Amino acid sequence: MNLDWSVVWHNAGALAEGTELTVALAVLTMAIAVPGGIVLALMRLSGSRLLSGASASFVELFRNLPLILVIYTAYYVMPISLGLTFSPFTTGLVALALNVSAYNGETFRAGIGSIRKGQSEAAFALGMSRWQAMREVVLPQAARRVLPVLASTWVSLFKDTSLVSVIAVGELAYTAMRIRSQTFRVLEMLTAMAAIYWALGYPQAKLVDWLHRRLGVSE
Amino acid sequence: MSADHHRPSGAPPVLVYRNVRKLFGDFVALDDVSMEVHREQVVCLIGPSGSGKSTLLRCTNGLELIDGGEIRLDGEKLPADWDGMRRVRQRMGMVFQNFELFPHRTTLGNVAIGPLTVLRMTRAAAEARAMALLDKVGLADKRSSFPAELSGGQQQRVAIARALAMEPTVMLFDEPTSALDPETIGEVLNVMKRLAEEGMTMIVVTHEMAFARRVADWVVVFERGAVIEQGPPAQIFDAPLVGRTHEFLSHLGWAG
Amino acid sequence: MEFDFSPVIDSWRFLLGGLGVTLALSALTMLCSLVLGGAVGLARCYGPAWLRWPLVFYIDSMRAVPVLVVLVWSYFALPIVTGIVLPPFWAALVALSLHIAAYVAEIVRAGVGSVRPGQTRAAFALGMSRAQAIRQVILPQALVRMLPAFGSILSITIKDTAIAAVIAVPEYMKQSQTLAGESFRPIEVFLVAMAVYFIILFPVTRAVDMVYVRLAHLGRS
Repeated sequence: MNLDWSVVWHNAGALAEGTELTVALAVLTMAIAVPGGIVLALMRLSGSRLLSGASASFVELFRNLPLILVIYTAYYVMPISLGLTFSPFTTGLVALALNVSAYNGETFRAGIGSIRKGQSEAAFALGMSRWQAMREVVLPQAARRVLPVLASTWVSLFKDTSLVSVIAVGELAYTAMRIRSQTFRVLEMLTAMAAIYWALGYPQAKLVDWLHRRLGVSE
Repeated sequence: MSADHHRPSGAPPVLVYRNVRKLFGDFVALDDVSMEVHREQVVCLIGPSGSGKSTLLRCTNGLELIDGGEIRLDGEKLPADWDGMRRVRQRMGMVFQNFELFPHRTTLGNVAIGPLTVLRMTRAAAEARAMALLDKVGLADKRSSFPAELSGGQQQRVAIARALAMEPTVMLFDEPTSALDPETIGEVLNVMKRLAEEGMTMIVVTHEMAFARRVADWVVVFERGAVIEQGPPAQIFDAPLVGRTHEFLSHLGWAG
Repeated sequence: MEFDFSPVIDSWRFLLGGLGVTLALSALTMLCSLVLGGAVGLARCYGPAWLRWPLVFYIDSMRAVPVLVVLVWSYFALPIVTGIVLPPFWAALVALSLHIAAYVAEIVRAGVGSVRPGQTRAAFALGMSRAQAIRQVILPQALVRMLPAFGSILSITIKDTAIAAVIAVPEYMKQSQTLAGESFRPIEVFLVAMAVYFIILFPVTRAVDMVYVRLAHLGRS
């Protein structure tokens, strides 16, 4: 077993770029999936059977599919059905956003549902519309409950970005494995990849624990 | 506490309930309820739990929609749809048994939220109005506190101020003191008494019989969704015409 | 867009084989994770203090690192370090079990922690030893609380087996990929794959939801 760890330092720039892409992917996905989740939750909680059913179906669908399959399917279906060519990055982003929106939809639904009915009634009694009551009274309170769960979802998302490597998106996993193929330094590169994910993920997981403790629901 | 009861002046009533029916599935919550509320009157609704008093209140401001009969506000039928009721709700204030203050806003924020959000007043104007009302209920010094820091009685007084901020024509009270410790009930009833003396039209669902006896102009007795008796407090409390009214009051220890 | 499902129908045996591997890998992973995770979780709660730190490190590390990375490392890097070459299926079993056992351990810890301390005190007051109290009083109560979470773990396990396609385990995802490449009908193949996974997973998530609801009325004892 002869190891050459210098390959990691030599490729530090590429690995850093891969990491940047990982972070960008996660951030963009959440930027879409948080409003997406709120919309899905509001649809589910609306009186309309059509909207409620559509939302429930969407959420059930993505809860019950492996993300890697969604990624592959998006890769093949999107160009043909929409007639445009998308970059792997966009495809990966779409797959991730659909998946995380579904989970967030459940999270927001539970959060909003946990706010006492009396609170919205008090808002209505003042003459607020349904939307005003949601915006001024319910959502601000639900946000506090929802935050720890969103944080856990973020950590999962961060790890799941590694799956878009299968459609050649240049994030961290893809970059590390590409360098492995080029340099044949299997153990070094794979260990470096694991170590970088660990270094990024470990503090995030600890932060989530802290959030759960700080904002834990005790009502 | 003053015997200065407001009598109907001959002007048409503010609220008219005619043959109101409300069902929850098979359960008849309101059965053919008819009554009137006149300007500047205090009407108290009394009766056993589950007899429909709160339901009638909630139908008045559209939190529930009625299934039969009609309710008229200043001669006009209440809209049958939820959104139509929104404008009507701005003319009525409601105070809840559980206060339902918004925990994420300060006392001042709670009182100002109606004028700010619904009446679209400027922040300065809304807060000025809110301060005046907080002063009126005796909580001006608590304007920056959050509801969690206040006692039950204080929270309910803030809730009254919040409802008054919309300058309603009618105030609806749904068992305002039922969730309070005995020591704090008095401070809330005093605020309500002063409101009555100033001429606010009020409908109060309550178990506080002494309050009803002294402050109400008209008392309506409910049982199982129907009105079994209504009249001036002297009649209801001292010489009820209906046997079951007498039974209900004596169960509460009311010597009558 | 016209569909042609004939390549899928023609290769049903091939795909069925993949499905078998998916189910086998899922079942074995669940078994290994429950055993390993249960042991780690209990050791974390009741074991000696010096054991706690390495175990917590293991658990938190598995929360930090993606499954894909663990899978790839187990298949490609582990042979270099240990000299043992594992066939894809077994490498996947090792990787997935290690990863998921960490979550099981956390569930065990939460479950045990949710039993009121008064219960333990009552057990001791009756003269039970520590081991007896754990076995007779705490674990039975904790187990009921842990059930819905275990159901979620089953769902996650089945979904994670699909990632094993990356190290050429011939489970359903991999077989679909192969077929998609050979038949030039990727949409049909993957749509069927989505249907297959949905049909397997939907009952599991439904059952978990129902268990959560039925346990909710148990409340906090």
